[in-house]
Amino acid sequence: MGFGEGLLHLLLVVVQALALLVPLLIGVAYLTYAERKVLAAIQLRKGPNVVGPFGLWQPFADAIKMLMKETIIPAGSNRLLFLMAPMLTFGLAMIAWAVIPVNDGWAIADINVGVLYLFAISSLGVYGIIIAGWASNSKYAFLGAMRSAAQMVSYEVSMGFVMVSVLLCVGSLNLNDVVMAQRHVWFAIPLFPMFVVFFISTLAETNRAPFDLPEGESEIVAGFFVEYSAMAFALFFLGEYANMILMSTMTSILFLGGWLSPVGFLPSGPGWLVLKIVVVLFMFLWVRATFPRFRYDQLMRLGWKVFLPFSLAWLVLTAGVLLAMGWLPHGA
Amino acid sequence: MIATLAFYVFALILLVSAAMVVTARNPVHSVLFLIMAFFNAAALFLIAGAEFLAMILVIVYVGAVAVLFLFVVMMLDVNFAELREGYQRYAPVGAAVGAVLFVELLMVLGGWHFAPDAASLRLGQIPAGVSNTDALGRVLYTDYVLLFQLAGLVLLVAMIGAIVLTLRDRKTSRHQDIGRQTARSAATSLRMVTVAIGAGVAPGDILRPQPEAPLTPPEPVGGGAGHGGPHHAAEIR
Amino acid sequence: MNWTAAIPEIFLALSGLAILMLGVFVRREPTFLCSMLAVGALLLTAVLVLGGSDGAAYGGQFVVDPFSSFVKLLVLAAAALALVLSLDYNRREGLARLEYPVLMLFATLGMLVMASASNLMTLYLGLELQSLAIYVLAAFARDTLRSSEAGLKYFVLGALASGLLLYGISLVYGFTGGVGFAGMAQALADPVHASPGLIAGIVFIVAGLAFKISAVPFHMWTPDVYEGAPSPVTAFLATAPKVAAMALLLRVMVTPFGHLLGSWQLLIELVSIASMVLGALAAIGQTNIKRLMAYSSIGHMGYALIGLACGTPEGIRGVLVYLVIYVFMNAGTFACIIAMRRRGLAVEKIADLGGLGRSDPGLALAMAVFMFSMAGIPPMSGFFGKLYVFLPAVQSGLWTLAVIGVLTSVVGAYYYLRVVKVMYFDPGVEELDAPPASLSVLATGTALFTTLFFVFPGPFIGAAQAAARVLFG
Repeated sequence: MGFGEGLLHLLLVVVQALALLVPLLIGVAYLTYAERKVLAAIQLRKGPNVVGPFGLWQPFADAIKMLMKETIIPAGSNRLLFLMAPMLTFGLAMIAWAVIPVNDGWAIADINVGVLYLFAISSLGVYGIIIAGWASNSKYAFLGAMRSAAQMVSYEVSMGFVMVSVLLCVGSLNLNDVVMAQRHVWFAIPLFPMFVVFFISTLAETNRAPFDLPEGESEIVAGFFVEYSAMAFALFFLGEYANMILMSTMTSILFLGGWLSPVGFLPSGPGWLVLKIVVVLFMFLWVRATFPRFRYDQLMRLGWKVFLPFSLAWLVLTAGVLLAMGWLPHGA
Repeated sequence: MIATLAFYVFALILLVSAAMVVTARNPVHSVLFLIMAFFNAAALFLIAGAEFLAMILVIVYVGAVAVLFLFVVMMLDVNFAELREGYQRYAPVGAAVGAVLFVELLMVLGGWHFAPDAASLRLGQIPAGVSNTDALGRVLYTDYVLLFQLAGLVLLVAMIGAIVLTLRDRKTSRHQDIGRQTARSAATSLRMVTVAIGAGVAPGDILRPQPEAPLTPPEPVGGGAGHGGPHHAAEIR
Repeated sequence: MNWTAAIPEIFLALSGLAILMLGVFVRREPTFLCSMLAVGALLLTAVLVLGGSDGAAYGGQFVVDPFSSFVKLLVLAAAALALVLSLDYNRREGLARLEYPVLMLFATLGMLVMASASNLMTLYLGLELQSLAIYVLAAFARDTLRSSEAGLKYFVLGALASGLLLYGISLVYGFTGGVGFAGMAQALADPVHASPGLIAGIVFIVAGLAFKISAVPFHMWTPDVYEGAPSPVTAFLATAPKVAAMALLLRVMVTPFGHLLGSWQLLIELVSIASMVLGALAAIGQTNIKRLMAYSSIGHMGYALIGLACGTPEGIRGVLVYLVIYVFMNAGTFACIIAMRRRGLAVEKIADLGGLGRSDPGLALAMAVFMFSMAGIPPMSGFFGKLYVFLPAVQSGLWTLAVIGVLTSVVGAYYYLRVVKVMYFDPGVEELDAPPASLSVLATGTALFTTLFFVFPGPFIGAAQAAARVLFG
């Protein structure tokens, strides 16, 4: 590869990344708006409605406010790590998108081990939180970080098993293949219990209600980001919502057929993927508005004593059925 | 060319961060450098074409093992000054041993030559046209099933060991028994009492959760008078 | 694939899992039931080993031959003895938990795999399975400081030894291109190909295994761990793993590296001499009987290594015979040590044995038999053990080893006989409790074996002969 060609290639990748990330960031901004609107609707309130028509400029007003404020670095904190943590959270939420296919073959990097890559990146999310908690030099932040570390590591295990049972049906770790394997039926139907386990685990993985113990604003004020302000806080905030979108995308790709059209006569396309993501995101918000927070021991019990054995058993069942019926995919 | 350059960059960062793991003053920094080392090792795996191993390294070591390391190191109250003192004292000895080992290794590598059959004995050549993950999958449960299962047993023993050495069933700890919670009904937990106006609720009227194993009731002296605890007494009243 | 070769191991693994599950779900106190089932499983495994047919399996990673069967039977016997030893002790010390027999079974499984390993990877996994279970067992009395310390010390040093071993394995793999013993032997058929890197690898492997048999200079952990671990665990630690690790060392040295005898012979000789000397001298000052046994076992491993240093079938036969005698002798001694209780509390000072000859003649006699045997006084079995390693050494011209061996035996006799002297001639402190039946039976049985070995050595020596010959192909 010549130098010029390499540069061109690089440029192409940058353009692709921008084409993906800019809509994503706008999506994140409007997810915060949507959350407030949905919560308000469920609680019979109006939600943001002052800035712009229907309050549509609210996210931008919030962003500008955050930018204008001062970033306070607490005394006795580890300055470098304190600032690194939000960047890490935000950065990880962004780089995961490199392997997401938005249409057949439309991915920035169409790699063989896409599912593993996604899983690896999502398992790193805990670092942002744990480093933030430690670097803040505050006991609330530290408590939040500890909770989060235990929680995310616990739920990753059953998430891994769920993914493996999907992969058994696909026969490949490539996300494109995963979607294409759902041409006839979405995996959410034959693997419905796994779909449920996966969805609940994503709630725990993103620290969303009812598993928002790391923040637990009523007990440990705001958990790991109690000391953060201004832009550092905004990065955390963006990272958290970007992670929600990422997890919804994973759910859509693994279980809901990605960009495939659910109705035969309509063409498949990225629009379907966006629609599915929005539906899953709505479920995130719906759950938040509906369920009270879990107690910590209940959370651990659910993860280790319910989800783990269940997903393991279902994995064995899936493998057994595939083997018995001769449905194992052969070399994708 | 780019691959070679990338190899050297990653290898260099790997070595530097590995050195930092042992020399960093703050143990939390050590663990963070360890994570960096893992990442670069994963990158080296990628360059070598072992993408599955690269991802598993990140998932298992960075995503789980190092988190627990970090968890523990952050909880430990390590006295850095004391640690440094030992380090200062033993550094010359350690350096001397290290130097001797290094010289020995150099001497060993000076006489570097392989057995002639070495190439033919090499394990696990990947058949052409098979991806890395696929190739691993083909041998793991066939050629290496014994080793794979043994490794599983090693992990099982580690798990049993961790439980044996740390799990303590305290009689005082209150575990949630979900079955019992849902089996409760209004009949066992709610009782309507008529309260005289102005009298308030007598202490006996408030239902308390009954103890798990009822203390052996004192032998009723005459008839059934003392039987049944305070609730009945309240009712009789 | 010939998976049936591993049936004894598979059976043992499955019974370990089954006993664990049973123990977890049984409502009443499960430990005694589980221990009995574990003993049963060990005996059944021994039957399966006897009934197995020879051959390589799993693509040459696993081999069944007279050598492996010999070692396996010995290991199973040692494990069963140690498990029976633990029953009464654990109940009294509040250690009766169901994980104990389960961990013991898995440790034994690891040893069986070690006996059959014909590949460096199988070797490593077997060794780790065995070690990991024993680390936990050593710390089993988790509420006592000494036991936790023993477990931690053994774990940290053991992990270091595993690291050395792995480093050696990687070097050897790099230089020979193989991890299978057969392939390595083929690659090294011409000693010209033994590059320094390969020799360094072999040295690291020997170091890793020498740690497991507690040979000098990798013996530091032994006294502390022997003293700190609960006595039945020490009994186990002193017998079965030693046999398995020694067997592994024999197989690794003789099969793949057999052609390099000239390169490693001196190394083994040095380790052997150092172990014998240290075992004899350091034991003299001990007052704790378990520490004494630790140094004694270091010395015994030194004697056994003489046989390996010979590098001949006769030498290997000597090692195997030595191991058989060592296991029964040691199991018996530990039965006596575990029986040492005064007013319900375990005591382990040598001085506590004072006056035992009058208060409990049976126990004292058994202990005396074992001490005489360890000192190598004929006609006890210990004498024959030494005889069968000294003779091949003389035949191979290793005069130095034989002479040092005899000299250290004389020094060693001093401290073994001191125990006898304390029992019979020192005034009693206070009577020891009467030992429970299981220990008495066990001590009597092993004492009979030790005294009467000279009447029927034939089958053992014949089996050891066959086992040794198979290593040399």
